[in-house]
Amino acid sequence: MPISLSVNGSKHEVDVDADTPLLWVLRDHLALTGTKFGCGRGLCGACTVQLDGTPTRSCLTTVGAVAGRDINTIESLVEQQPDLVEAWVSENVAQCGYCQSGQLMSAAALLATNAAPSDSDVDAAMAGNICRCGTYGRIKKAIHRVAEGRR
Amino acid sequence: MRAPELRNLSRRNFLVSSGALVVGTYAYTSGFNPALASNGSELAPSVYVAIGTDGVVTVTCHRSEMGQGIKTAVAQVVCDELEADWEKVVVEQAEGDARYGDQNTDGSQSIKNFFVPLRNAGAAAREMLAQAAADEWGVPVAECEARDNAIHHAASSRSKSYGELVPAASALAVPTNPTLKARQDWQYIGKGQVHVDARDVATGVAEYGADVSFPNMAIAVLAHAPSLGASPVAVNLPDAVKANPNFIGVEMIEATPAPIGFNPVGSVAVIAKDTYTGIKIANEIEATWSKSPNATFDSDAFQQQLRDATAKPGKVWHEQGDANAALDEAQDKVEAVYETPFLSHAPMEPPVAVANVIDDSVEVWAPVQDPQTTRNTIVQAKGFALDKVKVTPTLLGGAFGRKSKPDFVLEAVELSRRLQRPIRVQWTRENDLQYDYFHAPSVQRYEATLGDNGMPTAWRQRTAFPSIMSTVAAPNMVEPANWELDMGFTNTPYRCPNQTIEAAGLPAGVRIGWLRSVCNIFHAFGANVFVDELAEKAGTDPIDYRLAMWNGMDVVAGALPSEPGHEFKIARLRNVLKRVRANSKWDEKISAGVGIGVAVHYSFKSYVATVIEVDKDDPNYRATRAYMVLDCGTYVNADTCRAQMEGAVVFGLSGAQRAKLTFKNGGIEQTNFDGYLVARMPDAPEIHVELVDSTELPAGVGEPGVPPIAPALSNAIYRAGGGRRRSLPLI
Repeated sequence: MPISLSVNGSKHEVDVDADTPLLWVLRDHLALTGTKFGCGRGLCGACTVQLDGTPTRSCLTTVGAVAGRDINTIESLVEQQPDLVEAWVSENVAQCGYCQSGQLMSAAALLATNAAPSDSDVDAAMAGNICRCGTYGRIKKAIHRVAEGRR
Repeated sequence: MRAPELRNLSRRNFLVSSGALVVGTYAYTSGFNPALASNGSELAPSVYVAIGTDGVVTVTCHRSEMGQGIKTAVAQVVCDELEADWEKVVVEQAEGDARYGDQNTDGSQSIKNFFVPLRNAGAAAREMLAQAAADEWGVPVAECEARDNAIHHAASSRSKSYGELVPAASALAVPTNPTLKARQDWQYIGKGQVHVDARDVATGVAEYGADVSFPNMAIAVLAHAPSLGASPVAVNLPDAVKANPNFIGVEMIEATPAPIGFNPVGSVAVIAKDTYTGIKIANEIEATWSKSPNATFDSDAFQQQLRDATAKPGKVWHEQGDANAALDEAQDKVEAVYETPFLSHAPMEPPVAVANVIDDSVEVWAPVQDPQTTRNTIVQAKGFALDKVKVTPTLLGGAFGRKSKPDFVLEAVELSRRLQRPIRVQWTRENDLQYDYFHAPSVQRYEATLGDNGMPTAWRQRTAFPSIMSTVAAPNMVEPANWELDMGFTNTPYRCPNQTIEAAGLPAGVRIGWLRSVCNIFHAFGANVFVDELAEKAGTDPIDYRLAMWNGMDVVAGALPSEPGHEFKIARLRNVLKRVRANSKWDEKISAGVGIGVAVHYSFKSYVATVIEVDKDDPNYRATRAYMVLDCGTYVNADTCRAQMEGAVVFGLSGAQRAKLTFKNGGIEQTNFDGYLVARMPDAPEIHVELVDSTELPAGVGEPGVPPIAPALSNAIYRAGGGRRRSLPLI
């Protein structure tokens, strides 16, 4: 039974069970491999996408539940928030990089709703995104830098 | 679906097919081969660098990239000597091949071992380009200056770009002993540089193992045996599974008998057309398993056995004077037992591997730390000929040592061979936690008596832990090996005229492996907390106490001979400790009663001192600030070194605060990040890093920041009023 999805502004039809997690539809059926698999239980944040602007763990979100909603993935970020991508590059935020798609999607959502996040705002918004390489300090610095740049 | 890009392989195909080319027999090679340079469209005097007629400089990085920035650092070194324009540099990842020299990206030694060889590679190319220009202009080569991807002759105001010089340069002989730049002329080495993959990562296009796809590829998701050594006997497939159009089949993989080495454990592999179908069905099938001797393994019981082992004499590794007599009679000694649990690597990218077996050849794309060992393991286990096995490391989504063990690659190779199609083996997080090569649990017992001046007069230290050797070498090799003990125990800087150092080992019922800084983790913990306890008993500041203990010491010996140029020098340990004291305003904070702790450790030839401050008002003693001082000798990327220290603080806090794995009935009790608790953004302190400016030889960066974190935290918690905590996890 085909399901209609809107991803990064484009429409797609996918023929999958409605209970398939959005993560695997993105990766295996739409070739959008920027969104990563880290835990499958919504505990690590690597799979974070945006659903109508809200950061969402795509490993726990069924594709049936998001038909017709606006889904945005990391692949659209460089167009939507280029200054965020630039800050990530110039601050040399990433080490292995595997968690960073999720980190960026959470950060982008934070900055879209809070123009001047405090350190504890950042902590709260980003607590769901694990980084085993330990880049938290640079992530926080990049977020503050982007917020300041926009003010 | 995206097939891996076929990069311009003409140069590498030439090398692979010319099997007779031997580029040196050294493990750390400059990769020179005269034959490489004679291709007119490219100047490639070394396996590590090639310049095209378009002036593009292709640097080949032969070490695996796992976030430690090695691709960037390798390029910085080559390009500095080459006098290349950074904007013209492209970095490619090498496949596993002995022509590159050692590729085991482990032990924090990529730059240490390849700094000079890489410099030679860049310098040789530079000299050839200068000579080509000199020949064309009819001027002395000494008047030709290399700068910004071109050769310049100031006297006649002539310049030629590298691209233009490539045809002539590639006809010249390769200088195998080129002149290297003076340190004061370095442009890239020693400076910061944004990582070459930074933009790809931030835009979601960086390619990891799970992103590699082939037509006709099937996905395998595995249910591994309930305990180590069990093999699947039968699988029951519910009708709904059989009816699923995306289900392809199941395969059973036998357990590998001990010593397992890097071979797979027993499993049932669910083969499917897509990953989610594989994951879903792997959870739905029922399998029966053979009996395993490890089915009764219990981590609490094991920890007690380790404790018991430290309560009696172990193998003596160092004996000076007579510590036993003094300690056994002492009325007033300081005695402490320090314990650390099993830990897991848990890189963000779970193990994954793509293998494509076609007839008698196999190609692998996987996040492996050592593509040569991966090839060799495939050859030994699966009977392929070495020249028919190709392994290309993908960008590793974190490793910390887990991906040195290519068991997950062997699974993919086996399944691809059986199914005669490309296979991606995708481990889940549950797979990853259940079948890690775990960081060994340990118990250490320290005892000392102090003289009137507070300095130790007798000292006995015992360590007990399961050796990595029993997993990788032979099952009966359970006693700690000399290299494990020289990770902070037999090479302790804390010496005493009557001192005994002993070790004991026991077999564990799970695989043991090396995890970022390895046995340094628990040995630094025991040593640095014990010295704090001695300092307290002596009524002395813990930094002053260490300095006093090191008075008059020069080089610290260990169980293994020193590596020339990398001797463990007390002067450097003293220096980082003094620097962190200053940076952290230690004395002022001690007087003010701040919850602050210090630790210092030498590992992988580098020296790190740490001060951590905790929040006294937080019942969990959250770390608020961390000060790190790193002496790693000569370094390449200053920003990477800082980032590695920042990352080590967070990684070390994870291992110290809440992380603990437990086993019952041979199986792990923690299944995901809800049970294995790692540091998150709110746990990260403010981190200050100082890099010691040094002309010493390059030493390790990736691991040395980790060992001092847990003891500094424990010491800080003590001073914050949280009591003396001698067991990890601390919270």
